[in-house]
Amino acid sequence: MHQNSHQNRKIFIFFLLVAWICVAFYGFKQTDLGNSSEKLTTIKIGYLSGDEIEISAARGALKKKLRAKGYNVVFKKFTSGAAETEALASGSIDYARTGDTPPVAAIAAGSKITYIATGGVKSNGTGILVKKSSGITKVSQLRGKKIAYTKSTASEYFVRALLKKYGLSTSDVKLVNLETNAASVAYSKGKVDAIVAWDPTTAQLQLSGSTLLADGNDVNYNNRSYILSSSTFAKNHKSLSKLLIKYLSQDMKWANSHHSTLIKLLSEKLGVKKSVIKTTINRRKYDFEPVTQTAIKESQAIADTFYKAGVIKKDPKIKSHVQYLSVN
Amino acid sequence: MTKSTFKKKFLPWLLPIVIILFWQLAVQLKWIQSEFLPAPTEVVQTAIVDWKKGILQKNISISLFRATCGFVIGGGMGFILGLLSGTSKLFRKTFDSTIQMLRTIPNMALIPLVVLILGIGEPAKICFVALACLFPMYINTYHGITSIDPDLLEMGKSYQLNTVQMFKQIIFPGALPTILMGVRYALGTMWTALIVAETVSADSGIGYMSTNAQQYVDVKTIYLCIIIYAFLGELSNYIAKNLETIFLEWRNSARSLTEE
Amino acid sequence: MALIELDGVSKKYGDKTVLKNVSLKISEGDFVALCGMSGGGKSTLLRLISGLEKADSGSIKQENKEISTINSDARMMFQDDRLLPWQTVIQNLLFGDKSEERIKLAKRLLDRVGLIDYQNSFPASLSGGQRQRVALARALMSQPKVLLLDEPLGALDALTRRNMQDLIIKVCSETNITTILVTHDVQEAVRMADKIWIIKNQGIAKELTNPERNNQTAEAQLKKDQLVETALSCILDNN
Ligand SMILES: Nc1ncnc2c1ncn2[C@@H]1O[C@H](COP(=O)(O)OP(=O)(O)OP(=O)(O)O)[C@@H](O)[C@H]1O
Ligand SMILES: [Mg+2]
Repeated sequence: MHQNSHQNRKIFIFFLLVAWICVAFYGFKQTDLGNSSEKLTTIKIGYLSGDEIEISAARGALKKKLRAKGYNVVFKKFTSGAAETEALASGSIDYARTGDTPPVAAIAAGSKITYIATGGVKSNGTGILVKKSSGITKVSQLRGKKIAYTKSTASEYFVRALLKKYGLSTSDVKLVNLETNAASVAYSKGKVDAIVAWDPTTAQLQLSGSTLLADGNDVNYNNRSYILSSSTFAKNHKSLSKLLIKYLSQDMKWANSHHSTLIKLLSEKLGVKKSVIKTTINRRKYDFEPVTQTAIKESQAIADTFYKAGVIKKDPKIKSHVQYLSVN
Repeated sequence: MTKSTFKKKFLPWLLPIVIILFWQLAVQLKWIQSEFLPAPTEVVQTAIVDWKKGILQKNISISLFRATCGFVIGGGMGFILGLLSGTSKLFRKTFDSTIQMLRTIPNMALIPLVVLILGIGEPAKICFVALACLFPMYINTYHGITSIDPDLLEMGKSYQLNTVQMFKQIIFPGALPTILMGVRYALGTMWTALIVAETVSADSGIGYMSTNAQQYVDVKTIYLCIIIYAFLGELSNYIAKNLETIFLEWRNSARSLTEE
Repeated sequence: MALIELDGVSKKYGDKTVLKNVSLKISEGDFVALCGMSGGGKSTLLRLISGLEKADSGSIKQENKEISTINSDARMMFQDDRLLPWQTVIQNLLFGDKSEERIKLAKRLLDRVGLIDYQNSFPASLSGGQRQRVALARALMSQPKVLLLDEPLGALDALTRRNMQDLIIKVCSETNITTILVTHDVQEAVRMADKIWIIKNQGIAKELTNPERNNQTAEAQLKKDQLVETALSCILDNN
């Protein structure tokens, strides 16, 4: 009897361990280690949740087309642009899609990073929001109010540009530096009066009782996306970069003409309501093209502002960190 | 007999069940209202939805893969080093204090170094888990071997056992209870290290699922991840406990006699 | 001819002399009991013969061969049984050597000590007396010429102890094995041994013989009682 239960226990634990190993092996198959093919050259692209690269990855066309050219594309998701530029500099990834501020900060800190491509304009979705109930309707009424922003991100550049335009100084308002999540929480709990945000947070707040007091258009701020690479990689892989831009821009055209599919995809990926995504993508145009002079001027403006504000220690020359390519 | 099996089998489950029922009631009847406390049924729904999308299986299995690999590599190395330290004086003198020194470094402090050397791919995560499993296995193996009853070793000597017999009959089985305790402990640190590794930079795994959810204030998924971790932790603990019962049968034989 | 011969053996632990210039001879088939005060060096003497300790000076010979490492022709039984708790009774006898021959021998010895039914039990489920029986069987496994018993019965209750004494006497006389028994209990010594040596003042103070060991008549019993008295007074005597 006792012997019997001992035997049963042995068998049961044995099967449990076998099941454990099977599941772990199934997991192995799903990792990059498990399904990378050897003949192809692997290129790693870093991205952030819900961005253009996530759309490309979900669509799958980019991966297929580059595979035909002998490349195995691996997408790596990051939680911040700073983490991406760090990974670029250390060579753990080959390309990265970021917003406009991370490369400025990285270059100022001495990282050898090169701009490869620029994305479409997002000026409608980046701005400052207040609660409708607050009674604030004009930027000038922000005097003395608490504004949540996140240091050395698009929101810092935007709020500085905005205050300058309206003749306010940073001491006329109370700027509160918070991580993006913490800023949303602080704002929704009424701990701050205004918040600087970008889509989809902007859209989400607008649909739940907030007004967009001013957006990027008011200060000529386009808040573009960029494709970056490490300088050495960029120098040695010009043709690959061209291919990447070409296929990405094809994916962006697809995105612009398939809004309903996109809404479903992004709301699932981001865990955000469909109505929010709908607002977001209706007011922006997806695009990728080789770096343009205009985009570089915009980035230089960010660098200059950050340098003056003491956010970065050096004022970098963005011009000398660009690879101008021509894509047919 | 039936009363005692009731006590053994059901009593440990009573409190969790009561808590969950109370939680469900509290949310449903609106005693507590908070965006940070979804009802248990909502969490279950999230699990079902994620399962249908295939996200849940994928992330759990990937996490399990990383954990298992890290445990086997780190635990195995810890075991071998502990074995060498425990049996060879020369090795102990050369390596033990160094290993003990490395042990005191907090795991989190090693993240930047691991990322720098191994990048952000699977090897980095596995290495991180391995480091966390190495030390408990090392300490317990080493300690298990050095704390074997010297009387038994003397008996082995006077009965002229050869080195292999000495190891197989006395040293290893004598150290086994402590080694298995090390296994149980390492399984605990394995999950902790995995969460950290997966929150640093990952695009899959339970830790990633959880941080990603935090970014979008998706509280239900966060709860789901916590529950999955609790389940996996309990599962590995259960296996470790049963391995102890299986391999240390001799300890139970005395206990069962005194209990009955 | 003497089986074991000690000549001028001394042993120190640090500054403390435990045995000084001890010489003795033990013949084949003898059953010697060593009695004396606690800390007198009885265990030390036994450990010297078994090869677990080395003498500082003098020679220890068995069959004219100097004992330099572990004595492979002698087996020790300790006060605590020192069975391996993680192995079953029969495994404790085999030490991992599972040849058919050894299994047969192990079973025969277990049968001899009356524990064949317990061969697959773990030591923890046996009583103290049963465990010492296993230890006895284990000591006999290598069929040694000499059996060294270091108070193996010290921890047993009076009844079990008596049974074990009888068992050891029986086994030893059947195999004609030479036995050295260390004991505190003079009565036990008189019951079991045919020579009783008193250890005192770092040496052997007195050698008593016990010719009536197997004789149960009232007269013999009286002689044995007198022997107990002599031994006790010799141990306690303060000169
Ligand atoms: N390994 C050792 N190191 C130091 N001293 C020792 C050691 N072993 C024994 N001794 C000392 O040697 C003396 C004799 O010890 P031994 O064990 O031979 O006595 P014993 O006659 O067997 O006593 P008991 O009847 O209490 O077992 C004691 O005083 C003891 O303290
Ligand atoms: Mg002693």
